[in-house]
Amino acid sequence: MRILLIEDDQETASYLARGLREHGHVVDHAATGQDGLFLAGGGHDVLIVDRMLPGLDGLGLVRALRETGVKAPVLFLTALGGVGDRVKGLEAGGDDYLVKPFAFAELLARVNALARRPPLVEVRTVLRVADLEMDLLKRTVTRDGHRIELQPREFQLLECLLANAERVVTRTMLLETVWDFHFDPKTNIVETHMSRLRAKLAQEGGAELIHTVRGAGYALRAPVSDTS
Amino acid sequence: MSTSFLPRLLRATSFRLAALYVALFAVSALVLGAAVFLIARSAIEQQMAARIETETAFLRGEFRTAGLDHLLAVVRARGRGTSALDYLVEDATGTRLAGEMAAARPLRAGWAFAEVSEASEDNGRPERVRELVSDLGGGVWLAVGDDLGRVADLEEAIVPAFLWTVGPAVLLGIGGGILLSRAFLNRVDAIARTAEAIIGGDLARRVPVRGTGDDLDRLASTLNRMLDRIAALMESLRQVSSDVAHDLRTPLSRLYQRLEDARAHARSMPEYEAAIDGAVGEAEGLLGTFSALLRIAQVEGASPLAGFRDVNLSAVAEAVADAYRPDVEEAAHRLATQVSPGIFVNGDQELLTQALANLVENALRHTPRGTTIRVRLACEGDGRVRLTVEDNGPGAPAEDLPRLTHRFYRGERSRTTPGNGLGLSLVAAVAELHSAPLALDDAKPGLRVSLVFPASAIHPC
Repeated sequence: MRILLIEDDQETASYLARGLREHGHVVDHAATGQDGLFLAGGGHDVLIVDRMLPGLDGLGLVRALRETGVKAPVLFLTALGGVGDRVKGLEAGGDDYLVKPFAFAELLARVNALARRPPLVEVRTVLRVADLEMDLLKRTVTRDGHRIELQPREFQLLECLLANAERVVTRTMLLETVWDFHFDPKTNIVETHMSRLRAKLAQEGGAELIHTVRGAGYALRAPVSDTS
Repeated sequence: MSTSFLPRLLRATSFRLAALYVALFAVSALVLGAAVFLIARSAIEQQMAARIETETAFLRGEFRTAGLDHLLAVVRARGRGTSALDYLVEDATGTRLAGEMAAARPLRAGWAFAEVSEASEDNGRPERVRELVSDLGGGVWLAVGDDLGRVADLEEAIVPAFLWTVGPAVLLGIGGGILLSRAFLNRVDAIARTAEAIIGGDLARRVPVRGTGDDLDRLASTLNRMLDRIAALMESLRQVSSDVAHDLRTPLSRLYQRLEDARAHARSMPEYEAAIDGAVGEAEGLLGTFSALLRIAQVEGASPLAGFRDVNLSAVAEAVADAYRPDVEEAAHRLATQVSPGIFVNGDQELLTQALANLVENALRHTPRGTTIRVRLACEGDGRVRLTVEDNGPGAPAEDLPRLTHRFYRGERSRTTPGNGLGLSLVAAVAELHSAPLALDDAKPGLRVSLVFPASAIHPC
């Protein structure tokens, strides 16, 4: 996928660009807001924008982009972890927000999630991976036809994984989406809920669907034998 | 001050007010004086007319009952007496029969004015006389009059007296205005001098408060509270810098040592990987501490109004309890909630969530297995909202309680448990931001942490 990286710090930019290219993405880089504005018309799939840029700052840049009709999802990078900063970024037209410093795996997971975010018009009522099926209207989950009873949080957790099937969802993303926690709890909230969810999914047998991706997060994947 | 005092005085608000009051006072005194004068004059004139009418009626009676000669005798006797009235009796031909008074010509019944020029009286000043002329019948005319000079005397008495009272009052007003302005300007100067001293670096200086509770005192105490707040913020900033210097040095040097050690001793790939993992772990811990510090500083410096809205605290409490319940159970603790539904406070939902999460985490981390953690949310009788997190674990020694919210402070028993000693500092900062006093006390056994939120105006508890 084509990614435009707008970041003035040369070292951060080359580190991120190298990582993204290693994962098969095409990366364009702009070091200033003006250059970014100029390059942004080029049909990129995702824009990664630093909040603090020389010349035109990140917020102004994204506002200008949205006014000129650029709809590509924007991931803000920022050193400002302030209470209102995230809200300001989202209000300016950003789609996600990542506070520096961050693990590269976190950035990659979020970029992937943004790029494949389904258009808003498409309303999906049933999510399905392999023999696992979730009905969002009836709020039911079945595996191989057997009903699985989930707690509300477990349901949300599974929904988040299913919506991002085959992709890595990080712990932070889960905390934000499922619990609306925008801080890092020092305990194992995600891990504990995840292990309960796994146990419930496994109670009727079947292959393990939720995989732990070391140093990154979790991914819900169909067993390899099914997809081949 | 002496050179610039006069122009400043004229600009001073209190002097302008004093001048305005003096002007208004002078005008009102003039109006009052004029009214008093006019009323007094009219009263004297009425009195005069009444006397003249009574005298005329009396003389008319004398003439009717006893004849002209008797009248003339009475008039002559009266003219010689001390009576202040003047008389004139004439016959039909205009011949003066008695009395000395001048009369307006031609004689006509009714009120009239006449000039009397008597060189002997009043230093030759012509006298104006008010007189009542009556036709007594049989060609006899009687005129009784009184000297209008008495009214002029009244004018002469009232006007100087009036000037003698109003003049000093105006002078007093101006003088008072100057004195008041001077006092006012002195106090403004004191505020300005304090500000200058603070600009000059004497940050502990405060505006003097006289304790009279007047406007300037209120201004002074508001300014002082503002200065205290700024000082507290600066102190917190200074505290953060020294905390960072002290408490980040240790993990930083551990990180440095690990990397040095790897460079000197690691020979194989697994050894390098282990060293890198260790270093990354150390860096993560450092970054966590750093962002926690930053967050506390941001919360301490935040304005309560920015981002505040009505937060369903009941929902927050349920959500946090819900999030931690599996964790708590895994750790063989119990989590009990007593949350009254539908309690709202004005605040920042994200921060309130984090503060409550920190409290639950703290209780979970610092208590042994089997401990019960209670989350309570209820209305106080007076509309305030009390949020409590309480455990029945070993608690904290009484002398530690006030220090638990200090940055990096960790009780003796928790030295060995994971954590950075910042959790309760953030809770304290969030509590302060929400004007919700934070109390730590002994739950006997255990630790009880409670926040009491002020009553919400929109959702009364």
